[in-house]
Amino acid sequence: MEAPQSHEVTALLRAWSAGDAEALEKLTPLVYRELHRAARRYMVGERSGHTLQATALINEVYMRLVDVRNIDWQNRAHFLAMCAQLMRQILTDFARSRHYQKRGGRAHHLPLNEALVISSQPDRNLVELDEALKRLALFDDRKSRVVELRFFGGLDVNETAQVLKISSQTVMRDWRLARTWLLRELSGDEQREA
Amino acid sequence: MSSVKPERWHRVEELYNAALELAVDERMQFLKDACRDDPTLCQELESLLSYEERDEQFINRPAFEVVAELMADENARVLEPDKRSGKTISHFRVLERLGQGGMGIVFRAEDIHLGRQVALKFLPEETRDAQALQRLQREARAASSLNHPNICAIHEIGEHEGEFFIAMELLEGQSLDRRIGGRPLPLEECLTIGIQVTEALQVAHRKGIIHRDIKPANIFVTSQGQAKILDFGLAKLSPTVTGVGDSERDQRDEGVQAPREIEQSPIPDPLLSRTGVAMGTAGYMSPEQVRGEKLDVRTDLFSFGLVLYEMATGHRAFEGETGPALHSAILTQAPVPAGQLNPKLPNKLGQIISKALEKNRDTRYQTVSDVRADLEILKRETERRNPLRRRILASALVLALLIISASLWFAKRQPPSTQAPPEIKFRQLTLNSAENPVRNGAISPNGKYLAYVDKLGMHVKDFATGSIQDVAQPPDLKKDSVNWEVNSASWFPDNARFLANAYPASEPQESWSSRAADIWVFSRTAQAPRKLREHAIAWGVSRDGARIAFGTNAGRLGERETWLMDSEGKQARKLFDTEENSALTGFYWSADDQRGLDFRTDASGDTLLSRDLQGGPPVALLTPAEMKQIRGDISWLPDGRLIYQVSEPGSEPASFASPQDTCNFWTLQLDVHTGKPIEKAKRLTNWTGFCNAEYANATADGKRLAFLRRAVAWTVYVADLEAGGTRISNLRHFTLNESTDFPRDWTNDSKQVVFISDRTGQFAFYKQSLDEDAPERISTGTGSLLATLGTAVSPDGKWLLSNSGDWPGDRKDPKLIRIPIAGGSPELVTTTVWASTISCARSPSSLCVLGEKTEDRKRLIFTSIDVLKGRGPELARFDLDPGIDYLNVDISPDGTRLAMSGNPKGPIHILNLRDHSEQVIPAKFNNLVGDFHWAADGKGLYVPDQTKRGTEISYLDLHGNKRVLWVNPSGWNTSARPSPDGRHLAIQISSVTSNIWMMENF
Repeated sequence: MEAPQSHEVTALLRAWSAGDAEALEKLTPLVYRELHRAARRYMVGERSGHTLQATALINEVYMRLVDVRNIDWQNRAHFLAMCAQLMRQILTDFARSRHYQKRGGRAHHLPLNEALVISSQPDRNLVELDEALKRLALFDDRKSRVVELRFFGGLDVNETAQVLKISSQTVMRDWRLARTWLLRELSGDEQREA
Repeated sequence: MSSVKPERWHRVEELYNAALELAVDERMQFLKDACRDDPTLCQELESLLSYEERDEQFINRPAFEVVAELMADENARVLEPDKRSGKTISHFRVLERLGQGGMGIVFRAEDIHLGRQVALKFLPEETRDAQALQRLQREARAASSLNHPNICAIHEIGEHEGEFFIAMELLEGQSLDRRIGGRPLPLEECLTIGIQVTEALQVAHRKGIIHRDIKPANIFVTSQGQAKILDFGLAKLSPTVTGVGDSERDQRDEGVQAPREIEQSPIPDPLLSRTGVAMGTAGYMSPEQVRGEKLDVRTDLFSFGLVLYEMATGHRAFEGETGPALHSAILTQAPVPAGQLNPKLPNKLGQIISKALEKNRDTRYQTVSDVRADLEILKRETERRNPLRRRILASALVLALLIISASLWFAKRQPPSTQAPPEIKFRQLTLNSAENPVRNGAISPNGKYLAYVDKLGMHVKDFATGSIQDVAQPPDLKKDSVNWEVNSASWFPDNARFLANAYPASEPQESWSSRAADIWVFSRTAQAPRKLREHAIAWGVSRDGARIAFGTNAGRLGERETWLMDSEGKQARKLFDTEENSALTGFYWSADDQRGLDFRTDASGDTLLSRDLQGGPPVALLTPAEMKQIRGDISWLPDGRLIYQVSEPGSEPASFASPQDTCNFWTLQLDVHTGKPIEKAKRLTNWTGFCNAEYANATADGKRLAFLRRAVAWTVYVADLEAGGTRISNLRHFTLNESTDFPRDWTNDSKQVVFISDRTGQFAFYKQSLDEDAPERISTGTGSLLATLGTAVSPDGKWLLSNSGDWPGDRKDPKLIRIPIAGGSPELVTTTVWASTISCARSPSSLCVLGEKTEDRKRLIFTSIDVLKGRGPELARFDLDPGIDYLNVDISPDGTRLAMSGNPKGPIHILNLRDHSEQVIPAKFNNLVGDFHWAADGKGLYVPDQTKRGTEISYLDLHGNKRVLWVNPSGWNTSARPSPDGRHLAIQISSVTSNIWMMENF
């Protein structure tokens, strides 16, 4: 009983990263639990103080998931990247399940004006964003990873730069173009690319 | 979709980045030139660039946050279903509920006659008296005549079975309130919305209709980006606008027409279920409204100014805990200048806001068309200007850094240093409690005195005697009208006089600047304080005491000039200055007073500069990139060493439960004469356990360094219970360590508190007698705090039962374990499920109850537990809301009843285990932040509830009568557990303390 089991989370992360699908099943409830916890905090108005930094919540989550005292990360960057991938997978799955639940599986295409209020309808758009990211990765993997790390992983510019071993300036530039490209993708405009 | 070729994409990227460097009107020409031979490339770029500025909200927050908020919305909806859904009212079929507020409940409905969808608003009961109805009709009719694209149209006003309703335009989008969401809006959006609102107000004012309740929650932004003012003409009916300070009513007044889109299920405004923002409307009143004077159109202009302010900064201009405090702020205080909260803001917008927020309506904007004109001019100017966005400056939100620090969770164990580190000692110099944090201070050059400022005023501590002497305030200053700051290097070498900066009490520390600050000189030895200079901030006294360096002429980012004067405040002369978009901070004198260090701040961050007072170019010592690693203040020792704290990713966090990253002290040896580094920076400490040492200053011999240190603490307090457990006295700090301690239960004899603590580096169980100040360890390390959230002492008092299933690692196989109270190894009682609860009655009962959620989270099953035999029969079941994570169960001391709640807002249910009857305690809560527990006599409960005042510990009887025993103002996460004999209460307390510490032998 004495030894902490927290290494299991790390092990699960690694296993999942190495392709073990079962590991995801075990990790998902942990993240859901954190989502519920965070949602509850939103409901009770903790956010209204505005003192929390934008990245604070997600960092708290990571902290709760893994016992920071007992982790000897051989590769911090690798860990961050895994966390971001995990978040992407789980959050997108979550959104996808809700999406189909609501629409009975019907495909749905967003008109432009609705896409612009993307922040008010995250479930549907998370799925589309995930798909658009996959398309982006086909010709610019680094930019898709920048978005994965920042948006899904909640990392800031410097952390993203560390993970990808590029400069913060490059992260900023990548982010800006990727963001614009994605916004256009999700807006449903005909791609004018010849 | 065609695939993109890498070379082509590369070219797109290159041109895209180049184009962004240019002004908008130059881009087209650039593109034309750049892709003359490839028009499709040009098209692609134009298309991309057209999206560049479109939606700044897009993926600007972590996905986790977005999803969590969505869940919160859904939970809120599930919690408050409504009976009207599905009914037909007049010729409207009610479809679903959209939101609720002070102006009533809003539904989405279908107009059966016209086949269109509308928003149907039912008014709250208190407006249903005849007079209110008449007034409403009159007002609403007038408002319905307002036909403007930026005003939500009213289609119809009607009555159905005594209920009054208004049918109006159904809008899709979100309230401005929500759109802002604590972050400044992009300038363009801020101006566009601002102008649209003024257009609407113009139309209304022209017809003599005043809105009276302009606030972000009453402005809707449609999915097309169009602003719509809601509730025109209804404000007069709103209880909060006519009455003042009724907090219960205020809470309901977050009314909005909630954002809707047709196919999406509705999301009520989360504010409806939040408590922290209850002063919503009160916070947007004009001074004349607060005073209850007759209103004219200018009241809307003031409120509009507040809306502009909030759009521009992401913050409310006036925030207060109570109605009266808020009202007094509106009447007397100037808000933090918007430009300080958002450095990107054009000065002009700041001026417009200020003019709209003039307290005196005669000096305010007089008509809405004046504001509109100014906003339109600004918008034109901005569109013309180069839109290259300046980089956002890192804002120094010290408290945010303190509580949650971003990098702690990937901390790594520090490899042991090969070199034996010097034996550095830390000593706490002030012993202030969390209720009275130390704000700043400086140690005297001889190290014998400490001048410091706390909530109660300014003091000098004499270390030889330990005495603390209050420093008399200047008699001509009104009491509490200023906040004092004793900066680093404030003492003169005579160890008697020191400098202090006086800032207006209305200014929060983040916005302290020389604009309204004065430098005073105080004396430890009875001399009256004297003002030395106005509009200035003292940086520091030279080592010989002859000169004072000070900052003045504040710009957007801070002080722009550093000056010198003599010790009498005379012979002032400018030393150096900096350009408009930068600032200078601090001045650290060299040992020979010939040089100094200071910080220059500009868009790239802070740079530490070394300066020769005789002139010559400054030398940059630390670049912005290096400065980003530095936390808190620096100090320049007489031996030429620079000393500062660096946040290192390689260091251990202070504690699992007090999430601060740790920082180490480093030194950098500078040549005393040239101010240039002569060695590489060296690390001084191996582990400090804290960051952000502020107001660092060393004694003249350079051997001691004093600094302000803040700490988050979780500790156990104990109080005595009186009057049948309904009053407390003698509240005292019980676990005196600086470790993280949480009370878990009492031993059966009521003499010892059982708690969990990380004092040895790992969490373990301890017990400590009431009359002792050191604990005894019960168990070996449990590794994690979360592993032991459910803990109870067995009825026979011999065991500690602990649920280890709350820890992720145990997810596969959660267990209930028992540990001998006398000490020993844990043994298995039974396996259980994820996040079960455990609670035990007291002898003579022998009952413990395990609460386990079913897989679908919809039910809680209670099973009896025998500490030795394990699982017994099932006792009861309880239905849960699977969407809510909260759960608290406690069995009464006699083992007959369970108190439980599955909702942080209550209610608390009492399940009788004998006859299976169920009772609900008729009491509501804001947020049950911690566990509640039965009183020893089984007649009531100790309940922690988070309110605006802090966390209240109350005694709640079973009829719902509540008596507040104690409020923890500086913390959260508080709970209280009585001893079995009902004579004591163990209270879990979290708090932020701030004290001056000292480092020696470095």
